[in-house]
Amino acid sequence: MNRNKSKKILTAISLLAFSSSVSFAEMREWTSKDGKKLQAEFVGSSGAGNAAKVKLKLANDTIIEYPVSKLSELDRVFVKGSLPSDPAALAAEIDKLVINKMKESYLGLKNDLQELAADKEMSVADKTKRKQEIEREIEMCMPNPPTNDSQFMRRIYLDVAGRIPSYEEASRFLDSRDPNRRAKLIDELLASDAFAMRMFNYFSDLLRVREGVVMMGNNDLKADPYIEWIKKSVKDGKPYDIMVQEMLTAEGRIWDNPAAGYIISDSGMRLCNISNTFTIFLGTEITCAQCHDHPFEQVKQIDFYRMATFMGTTETRAGRRDMMMNEGNYRDEVTRMSALLKEAGKLREMETRDRVIEDILGSKRVAVNDTENQMVSLPHDYKYDNGEPNQKVEPAAYFGDTVNLEKFASPRAAFADWLTSPSNPRFTVNIVNRLWKMAFGYGQIEPVYNIPGHLDGQAQNYELLTFLESMMKDMDFKIQDFFRVIYNTQAYQRESETLTPTLTQIDNGTYHFPGPVLRRMSAEQLWDSMVTLSTANPESMVRKGWDQYKEVMHTDTTTLKTVPEIEKFKEKFRMVGGLSNGEMMMMDRSAGNVGGEKMVRASEMAQPQQPSHFLRMFGQSDKQLIENQFTAGSSPQVMALLNGSITNKVLSDPEAFLIKEIVYGPGKKGDKVEKIFLSILGRMPTPEEARMASAGMRAKKDRDMNEKDAKAMEVKAIGDVIWALVNTREFLFIQ
Amino acid sequence: MKQDLKNKLNQLDEISRRQFVARTAQTALGVSILPILGGSSKVLAAGGGKAEHCIFLYMSGGMTHIDTFDPKPGTETGGNTKGLSTGVAGIEIGHHLPGLAQRFKDIAVVRSMTQKTGDHRGGSYWMHTSYAPLATMVHPTMGPWAQTLLGKKHATLPDSVVVGGGGDHPGPGFFGPKLAPLPIGDPDRGVQNSERPMTVSEDQFEKRLDLMNSFDESFRKKFKTEEVAAYTQFYDETLNLMNSEDLATFKLGNEPNYEKKLESYGNTRIGKGALLAKRLVKSGIRFVEVQSGGWDMHNGIDAAMQTTGGDLDKALSALIDDLKAEGLFEKTLIVLGTEFGRTPQINANSGRDHHPRVFSTMFAGGGITGGQVYGKSDKLGIAVEEDPVNPMDFNATIAHALGLDLTKVVYAPSGRPFLVAGHKLDRATDKVVPEGKPIMQFFS
Repeated sequence: MNRNKSKKILTAISLLAFSSSVSFAEMREWTSKDGKKLQAEFVGSSGAGNAAKVKLKLANDTIIEYPVSKLSELDRVFVKGSLPSDPAALAAEIDKLVINKMKESYLGLKNDLQELAADKEMSVADKTKRKQEIEREIEMCMPNPPTNDSQFMRRIYLDVAGRIPSYEEASRFLDSRDPNRRAKLIDELLASDAFAMRMFNYFSDLLRVREGVVMMGNNDLKADPYIEWIKKSVKDGKPYDIMVQEMLTAEGRIWDNPAAGYIISDSGMRLCNISNTFTIFLGTEITCAQCHDHPFEQVKQIDFYRMATFMGTTETRAGRRDMMMNEGNYRDEVTRMSALLKEAGKLREMETRDRVIEDILGSKRVAVNDTENQMVSLPHDYKYDNGEPNQKVEPAAYFGDTVNLEKFASPRAAFADWLTSPSNPRFTVNIVNRLWKMAFGYGQIEPVYNIPGHLDGQAQNYELLTFLESMMKDMDFKIQDFFRVIYNTQAYQRESETLTPTLTQIDNGTYHFPGPVLRRMSAEQLWDSMVTLSTANPESMVRKGWDQYKEVMHTDTTTLKTVPEIEKFKEKFRMVGGLSNGEMMMMDRSAGNVGGEKMVRASEMAQPQQPSHFLRMFGQSDKQLIENQFTAGSSPQVMALLNGSITNKVLSDPEAFLIKEIVYGPGKKGDKVEKIFLSILGRMPTPEEARMASAGMRAKKDRDMNEKDAKAMEVKAIGDVIWALVNTREFLFIQ
Repeated sequence: MKQDLKNKLNQLDEISRRQFVARTAQTALGVSILPILGGSSKVLAAGGGKAEHCIFLYMSGGMTHIDTFDPKPGTETGGNTKGLSTGVAGIEIGHHLPGLAQRFKDIAVVRSMTQKTGDHRGGSYWMHTSYAPLATMVHPTMGPWAQTLLGKKHATLPDSVVVGGGGDHPGPGFFGPKLAPLPIGDPDRGVQNSERPMTVSEDQFEKRLDLMNSFDESFRKKFKTEEVAAYTQFYDETLNLMNSEDLATFKLGNEPNYEKKLESYGNTRIGKGALLAKRLVKSGIRFVEVQSGGWDMHNGIDAAMQTTGGDLDKALSALIDDLKAEGLFEKTLIVLGTEFGRTPQINANSGRDHHPRVFSTMFAGGGITGGQVYGKSDKLGIAVEEDPVNPMDFNATIAHALGLDLTKVVYAPSGRPFLVAGHKLDRATDKVVPEGKPIMQFFS
């Protein structure tokens, strides 16, 4: 909270200062990071990102250039508005850094080759092997060719919209002759609902967003407000640091303050929550330190407990009998209403308490609030000299800024401020590394959940990583703006790497992104692509009802005095999804039904799906652990594609959307095979493919065959082509 | 392969071991073709290791102990459940289980189970993994543990199967999706999508595959990544599997005298689940878990016991008889487990609520000596009176019967050590040692 305010004030000052500096160019004092001071007038800037420089005019009229990165924070804010923020300029800067690194590595490897040739100790076999390795790496130090429009289009749709383009979208883009069509498409997609859905899928894996919210609980709480909050935050372009602050500082119940869902998720698991917070938002694994000093990193067991102590006064539950926040006694209310229902014969013979009422009121006991009690202390078997078993410790951060508790309302607020501060050495690096990985397939640092204390020499491209870090800060943590730059780079718009980078390459930091890595679609990308192929508007079917849920939960039950009133209350609750959390809270339960399958985007369905569902089979996270999704293959996946109803019915039977509306749709002239290829692979068929595909469509001029049979035969053959294309690796992978 | 990995691990110093483990886990997630054959050998000490297979019947919801294996007739908590003689002096079980009373010489009952938590998911998690649920990792269940410690049992069939499981099953835990038990949702339907749909003829199927391979040719030629190759291999393997005998084993209808078998097992979910489990075990699958609900008896427990208890009695009795008839009983461990018991006090809705303090489980076959009871609850079934058995001991007993090494330390990708039946740190030596102890009385 505190920092937001100070940030706003700073921005206001800078605007003021800046506008005045434009109209009255004036001398002011400039301070460098290391405290040197200088009187000068701001006259302009050059470069972008890390290479950005300010032009300052000294008293003697000489103009000097000074790197923005070396200015004090206040001065950086002062000049921020006048630095280039054009995505193309920033993208060019990234491209320069990518190419530089590749060049450097290329020359190094060439040198290695020469040294290898001169090596007299190594055996011939070893030499040959090493030579091949180096040559393979050299190959990966040459930038891949630029993508063609088809390749780019399919990839950008999958990355940003989370699905393949529809036939209409694909034709529109490929027909466009606008020289800026790529940049425009990127803008359009980043502003779409589809992007919010795509990012929700990412965040729900990272944050473990699941129905019932609480990991080990009775499942009565609805995740809907929290789910809606994540989507809306993305859609509205809420800065990422603010999002994180809101989650860490949220108070109250989930329907009043949806961001509370984050803390509630780990209800009853306080120590796990602090580990999770570090992994998710700082890319730092401190779980080990819960039980002993971390063997590899500079984190002691006592550091863990000092960190946990920040959150140690935060509660997520009330006592067994109390509803939280003084709304009366929960048991008494259940008893009162049940008695009325019993008297009216509304309960079963042997029942005396109404289960639904009990469960609705029970979920009111879950809320985040700050107390006076510190619930964290060192473990009972603490064995180091710097503390006693069961001793309470003072909250403190073991890296980054020193926290001054007095400035904040609660230790939790202090912690949130420390964690999201731009000066926290891992907060920004963590998010830019994760977002880079979303676009390129690998992070600059791998694994992304274990960022080492010092980055130089650990990242694939240290200069690039620090550039991305300062760019993110300059952009005030706006995810869309960050992605806009990344997706506009040539590096992103190159063809995918055709080889798998070796572990040694990843380890030694010698993989430099000649193009994005070839990735298998995530379970959600695959499912949402199937949805795109089977419905006219994949984003039209959305999960809703969270606001009605809020309304129901706000009912003051003590005002429900009669049986009809209580029954109406129960009915209202049933309308917003009732007790079974597996159900979608959609107003229309038949929504999205295609050929017996619910073809609705993954983000709008129950989180997660049952283990037997297509999504889970292809690796949707079970939402139990951070980033628990997977893209490994399995036989059940292949069986689902070969024999399952999605490929055999939903996409390819005569009633399928693709056949009825696209191939034979009204006003859809044009080649049938081309339409199918464009719909599924986002490209035109080669002449050979077109020949093969249409071979089965035309009857062999059997004179006896009537028109109806001929059409049926053609439809069947089209179904075969659809089935075959969806079963290709080309479909499954993001090129 | 696994052995290679282990040797490599031992040669690395601590820091690189951590990195190595983390990276290996990642690649294993990316490409998972490697078969895990081999592994270490069985531990056959002290009567253990006779079980080659395990059928784990999991009664989800919390099986009432007082109305099943630990009746308290004539006491204030006994309810309407009467005791039934088992033929073993001094031992009675609830009257809802007449079939098991008759077969008591083959079964061993634990009446002193105790558990730390009274919520379904938490309780089930403890029983399945021996560990407390965490929000930072998932621990593996017994089937994947057995595969890890003993190696894969069958070349083409999966090592473990879960029939009728829900979304909360911890599955392979940190061993990763490669070791995930094959889920069978409905015993009637077998393996999902394993057959060519009726609407597609064999010729058409072949034609589709030809088209697929032609359309995909240039892509596969261009992208020579491990992942692409892995998928192509999965297609080949799956097409082989579809044509193999292996799949027939998942089809209940293929059971000889199916109708008659169904009559004895009962045409119920648990009956069909148990029959399928027997078929799977017979064809070589090591670990089959059958989940069956209906036990969360908060209301009207007498009526609920008549159906749910009756169905269990029928299915389990038939399973014992069938395994014996097939000569599989001695090498197949049957385990009956649940997350907790139910309150001795009957509630206002004539039901019983959650009661983790004391409850019952049951073992049979696979080297277990039947006709006995281990442990004791107090007079009213409220607490353990003698020989408490916790979830770690419960799993240690299963592991011992299967010949798993209880002392074998396995590292999760995060580098943390774990054991099959839980572990604790021995302060004297600073080493991790097993926590659970098998009920040795069952193996004598």
